[in-house]
Amino acid sequence: MRALIYVFPLINAAVFLLLAPLFEGVLRKLAAKIQSRQGPPLIQPYRDLLKLLGKQNLNSAGTWPFKLAPLGAFAAVLVVVVLIPFGGRLGVFAGRLDIIVVVYLLTLGGVAVLLGALASRNTFALIGASREMVTMIMVEPVLAVTLILGAVKLRSLGLAAAMPGAAGAKFTLSTGLMLAVYLLALQAFVARQPFDIAEAEVELLEGPFIEYSGPNYALFKYAMMLKQMFYAWLFVSVFLPWIRTGIYPADIVLQLAAMLVVFLLIGLVGSTNPRLRIDQAVRYYAVLIVLSLAAVALAVKGW
Amino acid sequence: MTQDTLVQTLRAGFGPALAASQGGAARRLVLDVDLTALRAVALALRDAGGRYMVGVGSDERDRRGAFSMIHLFAFDKEGFTADLRASAPADKPEFDSIAPEIPSAGWTEREYMDLLGFTFKGNPKPKRLILADDWPAGIHPLRKDVPYNLVPPSAEDVAYELDEAPPGTTIVPIGPFHPTLHEPAHFAVYVDGETIKGCDYRGFMTHRGIEKLCQTQVSYNEVPFVAERICGICGSVHATAYAQSVEEAAGIKIARRAEFIRTIMLEIERLHSHLLWLGVAGHLIGYDTIFMQSWRVREPIMWLSERLTGNRKTYGMVVIGGVRRDITPALKDDILNVLRKVEDEVGGLKDAVLKDTSIHRRTKGVGLIPREEAVAWSLIGPVARARGVDIDVRRDHPYAAYDEVAFDVPVTDSGDVWGTLVVRLLEVFESIKIVRQALDKMPSDGPLLTEVADVLPAFRHGLSMVEAPRGESVHYVVTGTENRPERWRVRAPTYTNLQGVPRMLLDNQLADFPIIVGSIDPCFSCTDRVLVVEGRDRSRRVLARSEIEALGRGRRT
Repeated sequence: MRALIYVFPLINAAVFLLLAPLFEGVLRKLAAKIQSRQGPPLIQPYRDLLKLLGKQNLNSAGTWPFKLAPLGAFAAVLVVVVLIPFGGRLGVFAGRLDIIVVVYLLTLGGVAVLLGALASRNTFALIGASREMVTMIMVEPVLAVTLILGAVKLRSLGLAAAMPGAAGAKFTLSTGLMLAVYLLALQAFVARQPFDIAEAEVELLEGPFIEYSGPNYALFKYAMMLKQMFYAWLFVSVFLPWIRTGIYPADIVLQLAAMLVVFLLIGLVGSTNPRLRIDQAVRYYAVLIVLSLAAVALAVKGW
Repeated sequence: MTQDTLVQTLRAGFGPALAASQGGAARRLVLDVDLTALRAVALALRDAGGRYMVGVGSDERDRRGAFSMIHLFAFDKEGFTADLRASAPADKPEFDSIAPEIPSAGWTEREYMDLLGFTFKGNPKPKRLILADDWPAGIHPLRKDVPYNLVPPSAEDVAYELDEAPPGTTIVPIGPFHPTLHEPAHFAVYVDGETIKGCDYRGFMTHRGIEKLCQTQVSYNEVPFVAERICGICGSVHATAYAQSVEEAAGIKIARRAEFIRTIMLEIERLHSHLLWLGVAGHLIGYDTIFMQSWRVREPIMWLSERLTGNRKTYGMVVIGGVRRDITPALKDDILNVLRKVEDEVGGLKDAVLKDTSIHRRTKGVGLIPREEAVAWSLIGPVARARGVDIDVRRDHPYAAYDEVAFDVPVTDSGDVWGTLVVRLLEVFESIKIVRQALDKMPSDGPLLTEVADVLPAFRHGLSMVEAPRGESVHYVVTGTENRPERWRVRAPTYTNLQGVPRMLLDNQLADFPIIVGSIDPCFSCTDRVLVVEGRDRSRRVLARSEIEALGRGRRT
């Protein structure tokens, strides 16, 4: 049984890499249904990725950071995926790492996007980058606090304790508040409407990604799909800890099913809202930060 | 101020420099002035409440030895128009600019600098407007000695020089190709952070020279079909406006039934256009569900148009003297059925849009300008009505059968994009009302087409304004001798409203650029065919019409 902890990270990576485009496909299908359209087949995102991977990689900016940024973004998210206790099982690395690493890696992924945008020296990419930066500064605290909440309750920053942290702890007032805040920030985490502000197709022509094409663009897209899936998993794992049977394959299936529900929620909100302006979004994020800090204060008090 | 008191005031002020006369039709005041008094009389007309519509410049050297310039003003409350005419000698086509005081005359003047080689003393921005940057200086294509098909050699390394950016700003280039713009145009937006501090515009990249073409190559009754292709969205408006201006110039009275059919087609066109715009507006603020749903509701209107005219768009219904197809009792029932369904569905759409607070956030206070400035920029259509300017050609200068139908003109004073949204949504219901009344009141028989004489009298002037979905379209015709117009001037509504856009953009956020530009509804048209290339064996086949229909319409009931 000990040997299995070496297998869990691989299973994590395999499941996420295989299913991330499918979840994306679900979002697109759902949006189509809400808009009275037929929509693309569920497997369309796989085709999109394959198509992009088969195209030429243009290095329009002609710089190294521009070329490396997509790899950086993809790698950062993939490492996060490998580390997490998916299906309620801790892999070999999890015991030695803490939640700060997870927050750090997610930020690194965002920084890689910024780097690529800045390196591409395109006006629209620069505006997109500045919006992305503001979003990161305002939204990362909510993510951090979500993880810290469990840490506060169990008095440990360890990944093992904190990630399914709220699971070990009781569902209290602070958990409830954090759950609400997390749901309100969910669209921003996954950069969906009303918070697809940095990419904003009709304004910035996909902003940070405007100069990217082919495999590099595919990596960015793939990274975003993985990130999306991670945030859905985090919600399920932290706030719905009772979804577990103790049987590993069954837990994986249950978590995936719950994640699917989270995705339906993302799709529903995304299709029924216009995009906000960055100044409006910042005001919204500010409220979320205050609320999440309040949740920590409650947790410290033991509520 | 009535037409008579206006004439008296002007006579008192300008005396012998001015000759007033009655135009070819009722409610058309014609003022001939000396070249030196042009500017002063124009300002007097503006001060008397005249709304500047557009200017018409012509090369009349062959018959009068002079260039002519006409400024058109509308007095909307009183329901008449004033043509202010002046001539300049052939060797020195120089006029005083009225653009410093009447900013919407700016493009008119720049247009004739390019096309006719006029000079306007005091124009605040005497830069190229229409001609390409590599067009050689000194060739003015609308002059009669320039052939219509002249192709001068192109030049390298010439570019439009943008206005100087305000200090501390960076330039964001939007266009010529950008998803916000459906046609090539270039906005250089000067931003400080994300706040817009100014904007320069370079457009007319696909200028087709339609006026020159129709003045030299085609005949009177071919022009309506060319006119219809000016715009892929409000083609019927242009065909009707052209036909009406020729009819006015030649004194042709068309059958009442034809006027009703024109009215019905114009309103059906407005229905499709308003729903199309609502969809585009939704897309521009990142709300694609609005986009898809409003286009779904719009689709049956397109099918209806096809049953009425043979085409989804570009109806080809209007000719000088009347219309080409009848609305039979069966088609009348068809229209009423479609309208019932559309009214119902737009009702739901209206509630969903107007009560959605997230849409409020993206449109209220955006593109905000006060009423006075909307008047100063001579804004028209829903863009003006959203800013408290209560004008609508259908009511103020009735044409076709609009004098016989009752309808409201929705006006809001919110002054922003939100107001435009409200106005256009409410107008959908007014259009439905108008079509129902028109079907009801239309004479049950009578000719569709009035016989028109083989030769129309030459050098008569005709003016027609038609309320297009996005504002007033103005057509001015001077009849000619070769079975075609001597001069045909078209002013689409965007020509006027676009000039006010830099003002609407000022101090807004860059993120609001798409919806502010979109709020005046610049238009696009596409007529794609579908070619399917099979992935495996690379075989190709063109989809049959029925297959395309099946793709777009699903099962037809």
